[in-house]
Amino acid sequence: MSSTDKAVVVEDLRKSFGSVVALRGISFEVGRGEVLGLLGPNGAGKTTTVDILSTLATPDSGTAIVAGHNVRTDPGGVRRSIMLTGQQVALDDMLTGRQNLVMFGRLQGLKKAQAKSRAAELLDRFDLAQAADRSVKHYSGGMRRRIDIACGLVVRPEVVFLDEPTTGLDPRSRLAIWELVSDFKADGIATLLTTQYLEEADSLSDRIIVIDKGTIIAEGTADSLKERIGGTYCEIVPRDVNDVPALAAALGSLLPAENRAALTDTSDRVSMPAPDGATTLMAALNLISTADIELQDIALRRPSLDEVFLQLTGRPEADAAVDVGALT
Amino acid sequence: MTVGAIPVSTRAMPSTVQQWWTLTTRMIAPTLSNGELATQIIGSIVFTVGFYLPLKNILGAVQPMSSYAQYLTPLIVVQAIFFAAVSAAFRSAMDALAGINRRFRAMPMARLTPLAARMTASMYRCVVALVVALVCGHIIGFRFYGTVWHTIGFIVFALLIGAALALMGDLIGAATKNPEATAPLLLVPQVTLGLTSVGLQPVERFPGWIQPFVREQPLSHWLNALRALAGDSTPAAPAVTWSVIGPALAWVAAFIVIFTWLHAVVARRP
Repeated sequence: MSSTDKAVVVEDLRKSFGSVVALRGISFEVGRGEVLGLLGPNGAGKTTTVDILSTLATPDSGTAIVAGHNVRTDPGGVRRSIMLTGQQVALDDMLTGRQNLVMFGRLQGLKKAQAKSRAAELLDRFDLAQAADRSVKHYSGGMRRRIDIACGLVVRPEVVFLDEPTTGLDPRSRLAIWELVSDFKADGIATLLTTQYLEEADSLSDRIIVIDKGTIIAEGTADSLKERIGGTYCEIVPRDVNDVPALAAALGSLLPAENRAALTDTSDRVSMPAPDGATTLMAALNLISTADIELQDIALRRPSLDEVFLQLTGRPEADAAVDVGALT
Repeated sequence: MTVGAIPVSTRAMPSTVQQWWTLTTRMIAPTLSNGELATQIIGSIVFTVGFYLPLKNILGAVQPMSSYAQYLTPLIVVQAIFFAAVSAAFRSAMDALAGINRRFRAMPMARLTPLAARMTASMYRCVVALVVALVCGHIIGFRFYGTVWHTIGFIVFALLIGAALALMGDLIGAATKNPEATAPLLLVPQVTLGLTSVGLQPVERFPGWIQPFVREQPLSHWLNALRALAGDSTPAAPAVTWSVIGPALAWVAAFIVIFTWLHAVVARRP
């Protein structure tokens, strides 16, 4: 398997559940030591992709090679090479943190003494030594997530799947997991990270794939994607929310039609691409002062996931998502 | 980074026996401290006291055997084993709910190893239930009157019933993924089958319309077989013949086949 530097090779993967088409032909590659961010809303097909690559589901067609093993013909080889953490923490709640680690070590074939010393190392590394002998059902959300990931690291994986690893986590735990991804990278382990957070995909991934309704709609480095979606955004907040329609009218042709269409009755601000940066901002300010609308704030900022989707799909991200509650 | 998060060692090849034993002990070890074992023991005692004391005088006179203890103890054994199946259901529902089954499926482990381990833990519960039920039975006057082979047959058959019921409980847990619902769900067959069986009183004591059900339902066949294997000081116990043991074995086999097949169906669900 060292004959290739590609840890994951996916070609034209398709999968349907009854009449629901989850994947409509997805292809991508992940190199060793590379972090690939799979970005998309709920229901886009991220988890189905991870399920197929970790042998939990079989594709209807297409091929997937993980660490040199075909998921269809050699699922055992795939399972020996991966680490999977799902969106849900998967632990034995009856056991302590240490007992969970020893159990997974034994399941991965470590001898009893090895499993114990490895458990102690991991508890140290994940800052859980003090809680080691408490039942994991009393752990906080962040601690549970950390021990869940630690249980996947009792032996060395070649490919790591992190399925929305930081959803619902406190900032400190989130940072710990971000640091870990850098460790994977430094160690030559391929990481496939699914996330709904553009910020997370941006700061961790070497490359990002944007997936929507089972299709890849954009692919590239974080920088190239940002360039493609206009780079900078201008956000304008009126002092009185009732001024939003007047504000939109005043901006005229400066506000693209799709951003205008994305405004709703509950919008308290106007967002629009600012391809010329400060110049766009100046132009907007001129139009707004002519219309005599009082502002609370006007600023240039990086695009949010909403704007990425608006730009790439021509429709608001909220329409694409089944559940927008979890989105920032 | 301080200590490396990622080990450098190449992985060992996990052995199925080690995995099975690891998963079995993870379920047995907590029973010693979390009250499960104690509940199991108390449950068997409660069944004995709860059935024997109030019913001894009422039903003791209408049953044909030498004592009500001799007549009743097979039911105590089956009810205690049923209790073990409820624990099996609870554990399998916990695992299904926690998503740990999903994780096991993405690990280098044979598909059936987790179920085999859960069944081993269930058999441990059944052995505890059987031992306590037999001790309780002995105290109220139950004795083995048959040959050594019949006594061994009694124990093996009781454990086979335990395996069948544990498979059923495990399946209900895996299918519902709801630990709280498992006990009420299993209480229904436990109580209805228990009360409408020949466990407490002979079939002739039931109203005519329900007698065919009482006679043919699995629990009654199992109780008859256990009574035959335990024997009696009088000739009133059923004889150890194929007409008694055969249907009981057939019911156990049917349970095991059907619930194993349903397990495969549930396991294939996404």
